[in-house]
Amino acid sequence: MDAVIQLLVNGALMGCIYALITLGLSLIFGVMNIVNFAHGDLVMISMYMAFWMGSYMGLDASLTPLITFPMLFLLGIGIYYALIDRTLRQKYVTQIAVTVGLMTFLRAVAQLAWKAQPRSLPYSLISGNFQIGSATIMTSRLISALVSVLVIVLVALFLSRTWPGRAIRAVSDDLDASSLVGVNQKATYALAFGLGSALTAIAGGMLMTFQQVDPTMGLRFGLLSWCVLALTGLGSISGLLISGIIVGCAEALAMGFWDPRARLLVVYLIFILVLWLRPRGVFGRK
Amino acid sequence: MKNLRIVSLLFLILLVLILPFFFRSNQYGMILLTTILLYGVLATAWNIIGGMAGQLDLAAGAYLGLGAFTTGTLLLRFNLTPWIGIFVGGLVAVLFAILVGLPLFRFKVKEVWYALSSSALVEVLRIAFIMWEKIGGPVERYLPNYGSALYMRFSSYIPYYYIMVILLFASLFVNYWISRSKLGYYLIALGDDEDAAEVLGVNVRSSKLKALVIYAFIVGLTGGVYACIYGFIHPNFFSSPLSTEVAILGIVGGMGITYGPLVGAVLLVSMRELLRANLGGQLESLYLVIYSVVLILIVLFRPRGITTLLQDTFNKLFSRWVRNNHAE
Amino acid sequence: MQNNFILQVENITKKFGNLVAVNNVSLNVVQGEIVGLIGPNGAGKTTLFNVISGLFPPERGRVIFKGKDVTRVVPHVICKMGMSRTFQVTRAFASMSVEDAIRVGAYNRHTNKETLEIVNEVIQFCDLGKLRRRKCADLGLAALRRVELARALATEPDLLLLDEAGAGLNPSELGNLMDILKEVNREKGITLFVVEHVMQMVMGLCQRIFVLDAGELIATGAPEEISQNPRVIEAYLGKRAIR
Repeated sequence: MDAVIQLLVNGALMGCIYALITLGLSLIFGVMNIVNFAHGDLVMISMYMAFWMGSYMGLDASLTPLITFPMLFLLGIGIYYALIDRTLRQKYVTQIAVTVGLMTFLRAVAQLAWKAQPRSLPYSLISGNFQIGSATIMTSRLISALVSVLVIVLVALFLSRTWPGRAIRAVSDDLDASSLVGVNQKATYALAFGLGSALTAIAGGMLMTFQQVDPTMGLRFGLLSWCVLALTGLGSISGLLISGIIVGCAEALAMGFWDPRARLLVVYLIFILVLWLRPRGVFGRK
Repeated sequence: MKNLRIVSLLFLILLVLILPFFFRSNQYGMILLTTILLYGVLATAWNIIGGMAGQLDLAAGAYLGLGAFTTGTLLLRFNLTPWIGIFVGGLVAVLFAILVGLPLFRFKVKEVWYALSSSALVEVLRIAFIMWEKIGGPVERYLPNYGSALYMRFSSYIPYYYIMVILLFASLFVNYWISRSKLGYYLIALGDDEDAAEVLGVNVRSSKLKALVIYAFIVGLTGGVYACIYGFIHPNFFSSPLSTEVAILGIVGGMGITYGPLVGAVLLVSMRELLRANLGGQLESLYLVIYSVVLILIVLFRPRGITTLLQDTFNKLFSRWVRNNHAE
Repeated sequence: MQNNFILQVENITKKFGNLVAVNNVSLNVVQGEIVGLIGPNGAGKTTLFNVISGLFPPERGRVIFKGKDVTRVVPHVICKMGMSRTFQVTRAFASMSVEDAIRVGAYNRHTNKETLEIVNEVIQFCDLGKLRRRKCADLGLAALRRVELARALATEPDLLLLDEAGAGLNPSELGNLMDILKEVNREKGITLFVVEHVMQMVMGLCQRIFVLDAGELIATGAPEEISQNPRVIEAYLGKRAIR
């Protein structure tokens, strides 16, 4: 029983980070109906940037999002104007092809810059652990999860309370009507893509406090976040957290009780089943 | 115009057949040619589900791996020659395709979601085969009988090259044949608009399934040969990068054009391999950086495929040639 | 069949979430006639068509085609039974040529060799000879509507549902289309069921008209009766009548 609680705690904490990553993906998908195949690789790039700042500039990984957030935001806007904007009127196949190309590109760049072997940072300000009942909690995981939830709440507030946030929501609800009330479609798309990418910077920085990174990691985070997105559907922020935690727990339980290698197997199986049975998501509105 | 086409087609066939004689002593050249043809076969088969039916399938690696593992395991366990094994491999791939396709098409999983779920499928199989130690497992399983033609274990690449040539022409022919049959018309129609196709009497579900099955069979068959070429089987044959690349080659080459994906494969895979050969050493991933940039540029500026660019150029040159001849 | 109804719609109700798009609608179409379905925007006309052609299963009610219950039958089977349709927003097969698109329909009842003949016949009938090798993606609205009609005719239906075939056409194109439709009805004996916004077309074409408002059937009758029915005027022709 204790083992189960321990696994669930770890899984739930991880799940909050998955929810954060997926929030970025879902902003982009909700607004321009494009699934960014390179989203997981943006997480990977963010982790490498955190690693790089950690080992060469002595900055703690948990603080790197302060720098990488604006960088990834600009990168996202750059990607939007350079690639995505040109494919909006094309078939969805072309759109995916471009993001798949981007995925290959980011992975190759990471391999070129950091070689294939996994990298990690020796310690972080938020390392350490403590005991609650029978469960051991790693401080870095707890803080990462709390930061993720906080950021998710902030983004939710941004989407409902500010003008640019409302523009994003209006565009994802109804493109034609939103342009009638004067929303600049292109700028909103770019903003959504920038914000969606920038969120991976926070996830990447926090993940780097307790995880290692390698160039093939993008695929894993990509599939993980699609799985959470499929489970959530669109437009439900609390659903995102629940789905993230479900996926995180499923992964942890599979790791603990079946086989460490089975962790992703379970996630993908959930993903495929959800797609087959509930193509609109379990918590979604559309 | 029609004669010219037939002549150029015959010329191409001849070229493909005699090409190995230029590379006879050049092992690297033969590997390169065989690799190009391998991707050519996969991308041409992909054209049926991806190009014609418009379903962005990213699971080529799944069918390839199943074919490879079936062929390899039959050889390892029962000493069954791959000449038969590859066909069993193709059938196993078909069976899996039906198992996957039935619910997918039943629940109308399409577009992005089809792409994503097929992509996840490859990873599911890869991990499952790593865990399934009886058949797969994390270490390579080497195939016996090296050097025996009876077991398709040639010591030279030339026979493999010709096997790939046969597979290529077979899949080109299948493509051509489908494109002129009822199924082809139905696939292109449903790829454009499923509801509109459905009310015209198109059984969308069964047409998609047929396309998936034919594609899976060719890829499964190729997978068996793939195992023999490599001389071992390993769960990494269920490769996501390979799967996405096959789709990208099809898109970049020109979806729905019979020989489009082949053109894409020939141009891009040879470019990739030449880059790899010349930029190897310390900058081992530079070739991938350049390769992916080229891919993106083609998709951005020629979304209908690089083949359409070649067709346009050819037509321009041809019409100029005709004009000049008339002027004389 | 003791009656000569080709299509019977019985108590159809279709909801989208809480929105009742079609509410308890019943109507009959007689073999060989041209009937119209009119109503203001959002009245549920297209939804009713989608239910009849099998694209949306209804919550309640039955659709009976040629005496057989087809309520939950998939569209391609319904098409084999002899019903086809066109779409409100033209949904051409963008990557196909005109003749290929029509051929898709022709395969409904014919083998590879025979389709060529059918395609030629339909192309001539719909006057698409000049456009036959053009890509659907390159065509204008009027031509697309004709292609859509041709494609449906090639399936050789007994009942053809036309969803706003006249929308967006200029008067001469409209007249052209009406001539073709009358010929379709007279020469091929195909029953036509048209959803229409363009009053000129409905009044000139249909023998009987159903009026739908907010998901409910509010009137049935000959064109002259309909145009004088106070409920219809209130719901639909209001502005026009005042003017």
